[in-house]
Amino acid sequence: MSRVNTVLGPIPTEELGLVAVHEHIGYGMPGSELDTKWWRSPEQRYEETVPKLRAFHEHAEAYGGGTFVDVTGICNGRDVDYYRSLSAKTGVHIVACTGFVGGDTALPHFAAADVDYLTRQFVHEITVGIGGTGALAGVIKVGVSRGGRMTELDKRIYRAAARASLATGVPILTHLAIDAENAVAIFREEGLPLHRVLFGHVDDGVNAEKTRDVWIAEQGGRIGFDTFGYETELPDPPFWARPRRERLEHFLRFIGDGRITQVLASADANCSPLGWPGVKGHTVNYIFDDLLPDLRGAGLSEAAIRTVFVENPADFLTIQK
Amino acid sequence: MSVKSNSVYTVLGPVSAAELGVVAVHEALLSVVPGAQYAFDVTLDRAAIFEALAARLREFRASGGGTVVDRTGLFHGRDVRLYQALARATGVHIVASTGQGPEAMLGGYFLTPQTNPPTPWPAEKFAELFAAEVTEGMVVPRVERLGPAGLVATAATRSGMTATDESLLRGAARAALATGVPVSHLFGADAVRELEIALDERLPADRVVIGGLDRTDAVAAGAPLEIARGGAYVALDHIGSTDEAYLTGAERVALVLELVRAGFGDRVLLSSSATGVAKGHDGNDVAFGHVLTRFVPQLRDAGLSEADVQRIVVDNPRELLSISVPVQASAPVSVD
Repeated sequence: MSRVNTVLGPIPTEELGLVAVHEHIGYGMPGSELDTKWWRSPEQRYEETVPKLRAFHEHAEAYGGGTFVDVTGICNGRDVDYYRSLSAKTGVHIVACTGFVGGDTALPHFAAADVDYLTRQFVHEITVGIGGTGALAGVIKVGVSRGGRMTELDKRIYRAAARASLATGVPILTHLAIDAENAVAIFREEGLPLHRVLFGHVDDGVNAEKTRDVWIAEQGGRIGFDTFGYETELPDPPFWARPRRERLEHFLRFIGDGRITQVLASADANCSPLGWPGVKGHTVNYIFDDLLPDLRGAGLSEAAIRTVFVENPADFLTIQK
Repeated sequence: MSVKSNSVYTVLGPVSAAELGVVAVHEALLSVVPGAQYAFDVTLDRAAIFEALAARLREFRASGGGTVVDRTGLFHGRDVRLYQALARATGVHIVASTGQGPEAMLGGYFLTPQTNPPTPWPAEKFAELFAAEVTEGMVVPRVERLGPAGLVATAATRSGMTATDESLLRGAARAALATGVPVSHLFGADAVRELEIALDERLPADRVVIGGLDRTDAVAAGAPLEIARGGAYVALDHIGSTDEAYLTGAERVALVLELVRAGFGDRVLLSSSATGVAKGHDGNDVAFGHVLTRFVPQLRDAGLSEADVQRIVVDNPRELLSISVPVQASAPVSVD
C-alpha cells in the first residue's frame, strides 16, 4: 500500500498530484512570536493564506490535485491545527514535517538533547502524532545552521533524522546542501539510502556556488531547486535572491545532464510570514504563474514537467516500509 | 534622580506597595525550558498545573506570605493568563517578569536573525522589547498583551558573560530606567563587574538586584558585601535546597548577619528559586514559604532582630518593586 502522511491523515500516493515540495504556510525564527511587530490577527492570516491555497488547488487540478509540503520546523511556528483547517477548507493536501530547519532553530530543550531523544521525538511525530493534533508528520526537516558549516548540533539532528527515517520510512528534506560531505557521511554511517534525502536550496543566490549539486547527485541524493522566485529582479529582494535567468539555466543544465529523475522544484514561499517581512508577491503559485511557463518556453515537455512535479515527489514522499 | 511611586505592577495591574506583605522575590511559577512545550514526552495540563500552583500559593499565604515574584522572564514558561487566574483565586499577589537570559536560553530570532550577516540583537532592541512588556503589557505570543511586567529579569552565562548576555543586561537596564521597574540579574561569573554594566547604563544601583550571591564562588570573591556597598540589592536566593555550588544553611545565616552588621540590612533579599511546576527540567521543589517558615526562625535564633527580619522580607522587596519614576521623564503608562 502506498501512502503519504498529510495533516488530515494518510492519503494514497496516487492522490498527491502536483507537489510543491518545499513551502511554508508561515515561518518565523524561534522567539519571533514574542515580537509584536510581526503579529497579525487570525482574520488577516486566513485572508492572506486561503486565496493562495485556493489558487494553488485550482492550478493543480490539471494534475489531479495539489500537495503543499510545509517544511516549517518544530520551533519555527509550525501550527498543525491551523494547517488542518486550511487543508480541509481548500482541498489542498498539506504535508507537515517533524525536525528542525537547522540547529540554530532548535530551542534549548532540543539543543541539549542527544541523538536518541531527538530520534524518539521525530519517530513520535511520524507515528503517534504532532502534539495533541493527531496529525502525523510526512517528512523530516534538517538543515545547516547559519555560518556555512554543519555544527555539532546540526550533525546530531541529521543523525537522528536518518534513524527516524529508517524506522518510519518517511524521507528527509534539508535546508541547504552546503557542507554536503558531512551530511552524506552521516547518512551513510546510518545506512540510509541517499534517494531518501532531498538536498535542498542548491539554487539560492548565496549558496549555489558553494553547493556540490552534481557530486550529491552522483552519490545518489535528490536535488532540490526549491527557491524559485527569489529573484534579484524583485523590487525588494532578500539576500538569498538570484537572477531569474541564472537559476533557470542552472536548473536546465542540471537536468540536461540526464538527472531529471533526481530533481524536485519548489518556491519556498510563505503564505503569511510569521517572523520576517516575507517577500511581497512571492507565493507558491510562482510555480504555475512563472516557472512552468519558463520551463515550457525552454522546451521542456509535459512529460518532463510531470516527472519533476508529480512523479519524483510521489516516489520521494511515499512511505517506504 | 528618581522618585518612588507607591505602586507595584502585578499581573492584575498596579497595586499599592503597602499591600505586598512578605515577598518571595526570586521564584518561578511555571518553569518550562524553552522548547519543552513541543516535546513528545512533556504534557502541559493547564488544570493540573493550576491546581499544583494554587496549592503552593495557598500554602505560602497560610504561612504568612503575600507576594510571589516569578522571575523567569518572558520565554521560560510564563503564562500571564494562568497567573492572573491564580492571583484572583488565591489572593496572593503575583509579580511577573519580562527579560530573558542567559544567551543559551534564547530563541534563534535573537541570535541568528534572517539578515546577512545574522547579527545578534543589540541592547537597544532588547530594551524596546522589555519596556513594551511593562508599558503595553506582557505578550501572550501572537495573541495579545496582558498585564504589566513588574521587573526585568536577566541572567549571564555561568562560565562568563557573553556579548549577547551583556546586550541583554544593558537592554534590561535601559528598559528599567525608562519604565521604573527594577532589574533582577542572576550573575554569571563576576557579580561586581556585571553590576557595573547595569550602572554604566545610568540605572541607579537601588534599582538592581543581583541574584545568586549565596553561591560559594560569589562569597569567596567577597561579592555580597561589595554589591551591597555599591548600593544594589543582594539576593541570597537558593534557600532551602542543597547544592554544592551554594552555601549551607548555617553559612547563609552567618552571611545575612554579616551583611546586617555591616550596615546593609536594607540591601538584603532572601528567596528560594523554588519552581512551582517545572517542565523539561527537574525544578527546585521547595515551598514558596520556606524562607518564612524555616529560614527566618534560624535568623532569629542567631540573633537577628525582628525589625531586621521585617525589613528583609517585607520592606526591601517592597522598595525594590515600587515603580521608580525618573524625574525628567513622564510616568510610565500602566496597564490593567
